[in-house]
Amino acid sequence: MIDELRAALDSDRVMESKLELHLYGRDAGVYRGNPSVVAIPETTEEVVEIVKIAGRHEAPVVARGAGTGLAAGAVPTEGGVVLVTTRMNQIHEIDPVKRTAWVGPGVINLDLSHAAAPYGLYFAPDPSSQAACTVGGNIANNSGGPHCLAEGSTVNHVLALEVVLPDGTLEVIGSEAPDPIGLDLRGVMVGSEGTLGIVTRALVKLTPIAPDIRTLLCSFSSISDAAETVSGVIARGVVPAALEMMDQRIVEAVENWLHAGLPTHAAAILLAEVVGETAAVEAEADLIAEVARANKALEISVAAGEDERALLWKCRKSAFGAVAQAAPNYYLHDTVVPRTRLVETMNKVYEIGRRHDLLMMNVFHAGDGNLHPLMMFDASEPGMIEKVQAAADELVEVCVKAGGALSGEHGIGREKRDLMPLMFNTADLDAQARIKETFDPFGRFNPGKILPAGSRCFDQSGALPPGAWV
Amino acid sequence: MLRSERGPSTRGVGVTSIRAASARIARRLEAPTDVEHRHPASVEELAETLSQASSEGRTVLVWGGGTHQGYGYRVSPDLVVFTDGLATIVEWEPDDLTVVVEGGMTVAGLESRLATRGQTAVLAELPATGTVGGALAAGISAYRRGRFGPTRDRILEVTLVTGDGRVVRAGGRVVKNVTGYDLARLAVGSFGRLGVIVSACLKLWPLPQVSATVTLDGDLGNQVYRPLAVLEEARKSSVYLAGTEEEVAAQIARLPGESQPGLVWPELPSGPWTWSLRVPPATAVGFVSALPDDFVHQVGVGEISFTTEDTQGMEDLRTKVEAAGGSLVVTGRPPGGEFEPWGRPPAGIEIQSRLAAAFDPARILNPGRLPGRI
Ligand SMILES: Cc1cc2nc3c(=O)[nH]c(=O)nc-3n(C[C@H](O)[C@H](O)[C@H](O)COP(=O)(O)OP(=O)(O)OC[C@H]3O[C@@H](n4cnc5c(N)ncnc54)[C@H](O)[C@@H]3O)c2cc1C
Repeated sequence: MIDELRAALDSDRVMESKLELHLYGRDAGVYRGNPSVVAIPETTEEVVEIVKIAGRHEAPVVARGAGTGLAAGAVPTEGGVVLVTTRMNQIHEIDPVKRTAWVGPGVINLDLSHAAAPYGLYFAPDPSSQAACTVGGNIANNSGGPHCLAEGSTVNHVLALEVVLPDGTLEVIGSEAPDPIGLDLRGVMVGSEGTLGIVTRALVKLTPIAPDIRTLLCSFSSISDAAETVSGVIARGVVPAALEMMDQRIVEAVENWLHAGLPTHAAAILLAEVVGETAAVEAEADLIAEVARANKALEISVAAGEDERALLWKCRKSAFGAVAQAAPNYYLHDTVVPRTRLVETMNKVYEIGRRHDLLMMNVFHAGDGNLHPLMMFDASEPGMIEKVQAAADELVEVCVKAGGALSGEHGIGREKRDLMPLMFNTADLDAQARIKETFDPFGRFNPGKILPAGSRCFDQSGALPPGAWV
Repeated sequence: MLRSERGPSTRGVGVTSIRAASARIARRLEAPTDVEHRHPASVEELAETLSQASSEGRTVLVWGGGTHQGYGYRVSPDLVVFTDGLATIVEWEPDDLTVVVEGGMTVAGLESRLATRGQTAVLAELPATGTVGGALAAGISAYRRGRFGPTRDRILEVTLVTGDGRVVRAGGRVVKNVTGYDLARLAVGSFGRLGVIVSACLKLWPLPQVSATVTLDGDLGNQVYRPLAVLEEARKSSVYLAGTEEEVAAQIARLPGESQPGLVWPELPSGPWTWSLRVPPATAVGFVSALPDDFVHQVGVGEISFTTEDTQGMEDLRTKVEAAGGSLVVTGRPPGGEFEPWGRPPAGIEIQSRLAAAFDPARILNPGRLPGRI
């Protein structure tokens, strides 16, 4: 297979040294796998070739963008070819009138927003990893970010996709026109974590930069007060552009690093942003401040200009980098609860940390109810990994019991695959497995992800009634 | 730095209203009367009905409010299954801005309940009889999508009864979720081919304090940031504004034209033949000039609804629309009227067909209705 791949690509884009295989055996999470080979295509045609070659050799194909995923989505847990899209990083076209862009899957999220900025536009999904992660990875994970509260996750910003399917065929699904006819294949492809198709080009929406903006920083003497403020703002009918929470430990870590003047004495801070017409922005900022005050905010301040605003967001988005000072390893979680259950869930999260004697830090998309508990540990301590895993499982269970979901934005991948039955019964999982089977009957693309083994459990005869149009 | 609390709004611009214009009700169709009718009163009864129909190979036409039955290839049913027995709000969390509603509930019924707490599901400003399940299955969005996006962006969870009577749920009752494949989104626009939508969790939005409609007598230009909608008709164009009192007043002041309080939606074009033209938004203007007078163009969205009996002319129009990457869809036709309802099938038709077979193996649910006769 490797020889065939070498013949299809330049040989320096087919890698099989021990070091390279090691590097591409993991993503930003904790799992690792052993690829047989790493292939780096530059064109759609090369992707088709790789898929066909792997297919002939019955080898899995695992698509990979920047490898910043946290759920082991890009980890080749069952070996095979790791197909890296980072050289497919052309912005093919930006159309400022249509407010759209055709991009390669390897384009870095932030590069796209920078390229669109001269037209007063940006790409709305803004994961905290946006300086590194790819648009292809965003699409595959249906990634979110602080500003997805009002703008929605990646799926709301994808119009059409060129995809290579597991049998090597190429399709362009979706359309620039609204409501394409037929079943919404584009919709189900987004968030499918490389298990249904490999995105080789995407037509995405660009969003106009709002005419006015206010960014508020509110600090509180308890996590509960901050969480009550979040629930209260939503309950008052305001959906800000972003509503993020950072707890004291995180604030301290960030402050140590960036010296931005964050209030380190507070138990938690909220970062809230509202955008739109000036009158609306003022009214909404007032309301947020009022709710914060009613929940005993210690201080409320408004970013004085673009520099201050940029600094606040830098603090938020570098939080995961900053925590490295606290312990050598961290396990970052991603779960969601209804926003009405934030206060009680946060209390339980800290309680789990205390009970397992783990340092628990929290920095998260509070406005969506999207939690990111961060467990700090030293993996070299014996028994530590098991302890972290036990705490993590409890955490997920607490969130699901509160009416929540396993993942709000990082995906299921290998990490949460076996937790799927917490949320879904056998009929639900079977339906999911049928979707996978329809696109990928031989299980070639990213096997072992999203669905636990044995999900496809009802009649497998595959027999179709006479006259069925297949 | 921050100003004090505002009082409740009293002055000026009028409270949001969603009007159901009488002409829109005329579009409703009646279910065929010469076949058996069923009105299952529970999910279990519906599942039993479909499972039995599957084993007997009896074709089922699923019927909500009858407002979007003019779409797609005709189905000749052995059985009509109505969703009106599944028509309640299952769970409503006003403070979380989510609602779980059964498919047979009318959109008007849902919206008026939600309005009691100042919320909206931003479903289509439909005829009063249209159901939530029907609006989802037909993939219909509100005019207000200009600000809030299409319906498919706001569905969080779906429960379907598949053709062979399995009850399957996907998604969750939270506003952000990537747990598993997005079957909820896939159900939007599926016209019942994957299953009967028995319930769905929808993301809600607060109703704005005030709203207004401005009839333009000049260029809209870039005067307003994200209006609810901009609608062009043969003899006028209107901008629909919503927000706080100050915000709406400021926008009205900048716009050339007459304003009136509330959201005054146009009547839908009505006639024996009705059509929906969908093209990339920036190209839509080019198509407007070729249309007869009775049309509504959702500016910035790229959808134009209109009526004409000139089916001949529609062949040519469809060729141009498809060349522009769009589609021309028949949304209503007279009894016995024949015209290819969808036009050229979209990409991935073979996968679409296999997906339908995975959810409806005996091919009994609205069979053949979708593009490609899936
Ligand atoms: C510090 C940090 C902060 C983060 N913050 C956020 C955040 O705020 N919000 C958020 O949502 N995520 C966040 N993430 C997670 C991660 O960055 C996102 O999931 C991101 O979208 C992954 O992009 P990637 O290019 O790194 O994809 P990878 O990790 O390489 O791959 C992710 C998944 O996508 C698939 N894939 C990649 N490219 C393609 C393609 N072209 N076609 C098909 N499948 C493909 C892979 O198989 C895999 O399943 C964060 C991660 C880190 C490390």
